[in-house]
Amino acid sequence: MRILSIISLFLLWGQICFGQIDYTKLIIGRNQGTHYFHDGDSTRIFGFTETLSEETNIPGPTIEVNFGDSVKIDFWNVSQGAPHTIHLHGLDVDQQNDGVPMLSFEVEHMLHGYYYFKAPHPGTYLYHCHVGSTIHLQAGMYGLLIVRPSNGEMNLNWDNGESYDREFSLLASEIDTVWHNDTILDHDHDPMMPLMVPETFNAQYFLVNGLSGSQMNDPVNYMYFQPNDKVYMRLANLGYYGVRYIFESSLNARTVSSDGRPLPNVQFGDTIEVLPGERYETFLQFGNQTSSILTVEHFNLNTHLVSSSQEMVFWSSSVGIDEISNYNVFPNPTDDLIFFSEVPVDYEITDITGKMHQKGYSTSSSLVDLPAGIYLLKIDSRTYRIVKN
Amino acid sequence: MMKFLSISFLFLFLTFNVYSANIDLRLEIFSGNLSMFDNSTIPVLTYSDSSTFSPSSPILIFEDGDVLTLKVVNSDANVHGFKIDGLIDMGSIAAGDSVTQAITLSAGIYKYYDPSSLENQYLGLSGLMHVKGTGDLAPYYYWNLREHEPFLNISVSGGGSIDQTLYSPKYYTINGNSGDAIDNDAQAKIYGNVNSEFRLIIMNHGLSIHSMHFHGYHLQILDNSKNPSHNGREKDTFPVYPGHYQLLSTTPDKPGEYPIHDHNLIAVTGGGQYHTGMITTMLIAP
Repeated sequence: MRILSIISLFLLWGQICFGQIDYTKLIIGRNQGTHYFHDGDSTRIFGFTETLSEETNIPGPTIEVNFGDSVKIDFWNVSQGAPHTIHLHGLDVDQQNDGVPMLSFEVEHMLHGYYYFKAPHPGTYLYHCHVGSTIHLQAGMYGLLIVRPSNGEMNLNWDNGESYDREFSLLASEIDTVWHNDTILDHDHDPMMPLMVPETFNAQYFLVNGLSGSQMNDPVNYMYFQPNDKVYMRLANLGYYGVRYIFESSLNARTVSSDGRPLPNVQFGDTIEVLPGERYETFLQFGNQTSSILTVEHFNLNTHLVSSSQEMVFWSSSVGIDEISNYNVFPNPTDDLIFFSEVPVDYEITDITGKMHQKGYSTSSSLVDLPAGIYLLKIDSRTYRIVKN
Repeated sequence: MMKFLSISFLFLFLTFNVYSANIDLRLEIFSGNLSMFDNSTIPVLTYSDSSTFSPSSPILIFEDGDVLTLKVVNSDANVHGFKIDGLIDMGSIAAGDSVTQAITLSAGIYKYYDPSSLENQYLGLSGLMHVKGTGDLAPYYYWNLREHEPFLNISVSGGGSIDQTLYSPKYYTINGNSGDAIDNDAQAKIYGNVNSEFRLIIMNHGLSIHSMHFHGYHLQILDNSKNPSHNGREKDTFPVYPGHYQLLSTTPDKPGEYPIHDHNLIAVTGGGQYHTGMITTMLIAP
């Protein structure tokens, strides 16, 4: 009853403060999802969804609003167990809408809670649960919130700002499966009692947009660009490690804003270090390259050692990957032989960095000596993506 | 009620530990135990501005142009020192010995420390000195961040060395406090007012990197020792690297109570208990 009264009060507060609502977003809190890793293992997660029928994923859905919008987040907690909240990270909302238990309100199972805010400066923000936050954030209750220019333009960083051809958002985090045991996730929730957590955090999986290991450079997760594109990267971190996004120098990375505010001085450099809770926006200038590698390092904040170094792929969509016109490339993926022509042709096989591995004149080639991974087969100025198992 | 107490706390804070003009200061090195919120204790070494052990080295606040006559007494059993980069270096101070030097202070933020070893600094022989500029009347708050790995403290106290590749702290403190004690620290808990600027100096004396996040507000970086080119940035989350500081400022525009915490959320825990680590709030009165 007390909770209902509080929620009613906040509803009234929101109506008083914000009057007309420009945008309402339903976000559902769940606590029975499963996250699948690149190695076939999986773990239980919490998370946010937009509908009851969808799978719970890490990260949650990206919320997009326009600068100046009066926004209402309708948060529906459909997760038996501890209550949840939504903390609007970086949006500088007032105390009532800050999503911190004890200082604001928390939302019990099957109840709705309403968060109101006026979208501040265009930029990249975050949202996450702030109940037992060390557990609930690690469990997966987080996502991106993007504030676009006031007219909603998709290819402009802020009002009267700089335009771009396409954008990609990367949200880094980690998972220590010890923290995903039921005994941790299904913790007691008594605000008057201490909440016990594991003393240490040692991640086994290092994520970007929920992807790990081979998922990160799977073609389905490539970041596709067109020749000469100007690309806007939104780089964020909501994990418990530091993260370095390392771009190829040919892209001339230029960081222009952080935490939703323009930088007073543009930062030039290929390595963008993003600590937990930070966000940066970086321009990249592509040319005529076929591909480019983004290296993502997670480093331990205590030891300063790099715990994981993984690669993501920018891929030019102008390259005729897998075009089956003059040549039929099979089997693909392959463990050994790959066939590509009925008559001998000149061919080259490189990795995605451009390093040459094979060159010859044949109807087929053996990949048996190559490490597992993604390679490029070039024949007659066409390029095919081939996969060695 | 807390809001109405804020002005009183602020007044106490402004008059606390401020020295002026020609100042004689005595710092004494003691070993002792730092108590955590769960009553566990950790061996530490600190500078004390009294004649007894202090669980953390004091925050020293002066004004530009002050002449400081500093006497450092070593009451520990081992050789120590006292250094402020570019300002003073007392060399080795033998057990039971003392050194006195006089210096004229210039406005700035300084870390004082025992240069004899990283281990001694890890144990607690480092602190923050703030020399305010002439006419600087802004209210300041001070956070000295430090992590603690109890077995490492015991090992280092016995002559062992630090292997940071194995570092895995168990407790996280602000000004030597953990748990509710942080909120009772008038130099850490921020009591502000709408339309009235306050400033916060965060100095990292530990070995870990911390990422301090502010609810409710962006703050501007007025000064930072790690990346001076970042001065002027307005952010809600600030990296604070070991041995470095950030000087932050904001002028609140709305009342309320807003948490501030390390967003490496392991550092808001301590001893396996949430939330007893690097977390407090700023309380903004209308």
